[in-house]
Amino acid sequence: MAAVAIHLPLMLMQLPLKSYDTNFHIFFASHYVHHWFDPWNVKWFAGFSQTTYPPLPQQWVALLSWLFGLNMAYMAVQLAAILLLAVGVYRFSRLWVSPRAASYAALASVFLGNESFLVYSAGQLSTTFAAPIYLNALPYFFDWLRYGKWRSLLKACVLLVAAAAAHHATLIFGSAFFALPVIALVLLDGKNEDREADEKPSVQAVIARTVTLTIVVGIAIAVVLLPYWIGLIRYPITQTPIPHPSRASYILSPEWGLNYFLVPYGALILALPFIVIRGAAVARLRPLLLGFWVAFLVGLGGTTPVGKLLLGRAFEVLTFERFSYWAALLALPILGLVIMEFIDRFRLKAAITVALLAASTCTLAVAWSSIRPADAANFDVSSVAQWLNRDGHDRFRYVTLGFGNKLSRLAIMTDANSVDGESNSSRMLPELTKFGGAALTSSKYFAKPGMDSLRAMLAHADRYGLKWVIVRDSYYDPLLYFAGWRQVDELDNKTITVWGKDGVPPATPMNTSQRPPRWQGVLWGTLPFGFSILALLVIWLPEKRSRGFRDDDLPLSTEQTIDGEVIS
Amino acid sequence: MNKGRLLAVAIVVATLALLAIGTIWPVPSAVAYAGGGKGDLLVSPSTPEAAANDLGTQIRLHAWDKAYSSLANKAEFTQSQFIHDLTGYALSLRTYATLDGFEVQPLHQSANDAEVIMKLRWSTVVGTFEDKRDVHVVRSGDHWAVNWPIVPEQHVPPQVIPVNYLRWDVIKSGSGDDWGAQDVEAPHVRIVDMHPVNRADGVVVMGELLNEDVIPAYVSVRATLVAKSGSVLDSEGSFDMISHTLLPKQVTPFVIRFPGIDLSEVGSIRMVPQSVLVSASADPVIEVQNQQYNAPPGATLTGQLSNQSGQTVNVAHVLSSFYDKNGQLVWVAGQYIDRALQPQIPVDFRISVPEDIARKINTERTVVSTYAVGSFQ
Repeated sequence: MAAVAIHLPLMLMQLPLKSYDTNFHIFFASHYVHHWFDPWNVKWFAGFSQTTYPPLPQQWVALLSWLFGLNMAYMAVQLAAILLLAVGVYRFSRLWVSPRAASYAALASVFLGNESFLVYSAGQLSTTFAAPIYLNALPYFFDWLRYGKWRSLLKACVLLVAAAAAHHATLIFGSAFFALPVIALVLLDGKNEDREADEKPSVQAVIARTVTLTIVVGIAIAVVLLPYWIGLIRYPITQTPIPHPSRASYILSPEWGLNYFLVPYGALILALPFIVIRGAAVARLRPLLLGFWVAFLVGLGGTTPVGKLLLGRAFEVLTFERFSYWAALLALPILGLVIMEFIDRFRLKAAITVALLAASTCTLAVAWSSIRPADAANFDVSSVAQWLNRDGHDRFRYVTLGFGNKLSRLAIMTDANSVDGESNSSRMLPELTKFGGAALTSSKYFAKPGMDSLRAMLAHADRYGLKWVIVRDSYYDPLLYFAGWRQVDELDNKTITVWGKDGVPPATPMNTSQRPPRWQGVLWGTLPFGFSILALLVIWLPEKRSRGFRDDDLPLSTEQTIDGEVIS
Repeated sequence: MNKGRLLAVAIVVATLALLAIGTIWPVPSAVAYAGGGKGDLLVSPSTPEAAANDLGTQIRLHAWDKAYSSLANKAEFTQSQFIHDLTGYALSLRTYATLDGFEVQPLHQSANDAEVIMKLRWSTVVGTFEDKRDVHVVRSGDHWAVNWPIVPEQHVPPQVIPVNYLRWDVIKSGSGDDWGAQDVEAPHVRIVDMHPVNRADGVVVMGELLNEDVIPAYVSVRATLVAKSGSVLDSEGSFDMISHTLLPKQVTPFVIRFPGIDLSEVGSIRMVPQSVLVSASADPVIEVQNQQYNAPPGATLTGQLSNQSGQTVNVAHVLSSFYDKNGQLVWVAGQYIDRALQPQIPVDFRISVPEDIARKINTERTVVSTYAVGSFQ
């Protein structure tokens, strides 16, 4: 109810549309609306395959768009992910702490700054969609390891594959941060003398069950995302890394520390000492604490050398706000316990304090999308779309400059194709991959690499049928002028100019060798979505109640002392 | 100490240690975002080089307050003058340039002062340029501070400049017509010289294009390298290495680069000049003054550009053709001018010439194309 009360109005306001990546996800969804079984999209990069990005959330947006339209369908899917997160956090927390503490953890997830930051500022639908599925899979994983229940194996596998179909990176890194603590928990409980015999599997059994699940899930993911893996093998990601401020040192660059640490974590920062103390004090919580700690350090980006050491070259490719998100999720069970004990000790004062801190954390993270918006200029691109769609202008390709995240919005509305795009992992054109700039529309923000990329693309305009450059930032005018473009039109009260180049041949289909064959399209349109449906079905299979946490699992329960003080 | 406390203390200590390590020896991405180039961001300016490095870092971060307050001679100019010295007094390439990197080279040092060279590499919309400053660094107590060699803004007295240059307007057949689609014959242009050369990074095709018509032309040149087998090796355009607007009887040099191709692979070259009728004006006129070819070693063509009109030219592009003693074109090079051309205030230009070509050069000719904000609206 709390999640609905807080996030439903924000979704109805379509607040995530301001974020960095929301329009990108909607653009992908818009393609699935018209071409569910054909992932080849000609609108960006002179043609690219959408099998370069796991499809599940976008496919759900596409499906729901028949009822709500694309924008509201996105909001519906995002809201569902937020609701699912509360459920997932509760179920995950129940492995570690009491039902009451798990309830506090679930409630805290609704106010979690990291979640709001990803939803409203970053627009990372895939990450926020995959994580709750993953969290919901972990209790089944736990039950499988501890009790060897086949139904748990089935449920864990289906949910984990569905999570991978939403966001593969969550599964890869989640395995390290989330699954390893769960395995350690099962082993720790196995040493507990108070546990019953069926709750104490042997180490060999745990290893065998882990290997079994890994193999089954591995094979299933390999099949479900087969077009993705084929594409990755045929066209490995070799492009020059693109700078991202989440890799900055948040101490040396405090402005990025504000953006990627203070705002997402919010009041959770105040709880960090208690999370460490409480997590270290209870033996059962230590694996979780260590998982949180490593994810927390990696989430600090370039503030510590940990990310670079653990990830190697991947450090230059990944962004780190999602690691902070995972760290926060890992901290939630312990946070729930800390909140419970705080409220037990200080009653109403504690409840009010916690509520105020939670509300302010959520408020700041939500407001951050307005305080520091992804794209300060909120403008309508319909006039540009209309211009491109008329008089045969769409026979040529175009590129926008100064459009920010409106690039995706324009691509949804126009019939014309572009050489630019926002999916960095999907692009293959050498002019885009060689230099280390991101989308051409934002070239100037990437300094020399960005401008080199733009110059290279403009120099090869004839090759790509690139005739139109649509400019909303006069910074680029001198380059266009000296490179042989001439202004041909003005739009939107002269705030947008259209530049054209003479002698450019009409665009022809390109990159066709990269186009996935039809069977891959069918696979892509069937299995990822099918597994999400299967996941919805199998979780209803009846199962004996999980016996993760027991009341005697916390040696430091009430009436015990810390540092000589009574804590309740 | 029990295990729990030990673990908590270990986590806290390890976290603090990792934060300290990450701050003292930051990873490259952290250094880049902190504006530094050397990774020693926390070193106080206890040497002349460190003082210059710190200043470079502040300039890169656009931390003007810190940069200005760190200067030893800040009493000689205002912070605004300091900023404009770096970013230009009028709208120019410098205005929105970002400092891509910088180098500090010590020249000599005594107990209380030192001379260093600061090479600032700026990235602009049309490419990069280097701003080289000879910097005097002085000791101030226990640290060093830079004496910034400010270049003051030049002014000309108020005056009236009559504008009576030729201008050609084009009446389109309809207001909605796209540029280049007018139903008139294209101006007659002709390639008067074309010369391919082999360079280390590939083939370079250079030449000159003449507008032999009596109307202005908007021109570009495209070259296609054809292999001896008849297959197409590559096709490239002149991009910005040409003066696109040609008045009647004007000539522009052009350069087309084919990286990664050896001239021995090339059987023939197809040249396609393109021209379109456009509106044009002879104004603004840019005069090239004191042009001088400086023979090798370090061959350069230097001179000054003087804006003879009354309007500011925001960006100028100098293109120079170099000829041997037989009048044969041997090289074409260009340079963007990073400062705006204010009326009647000369601005230096300096174009480098490769050493192997420099010895063949006998004469040179320079053309200037200009961009002024709003000139095409």
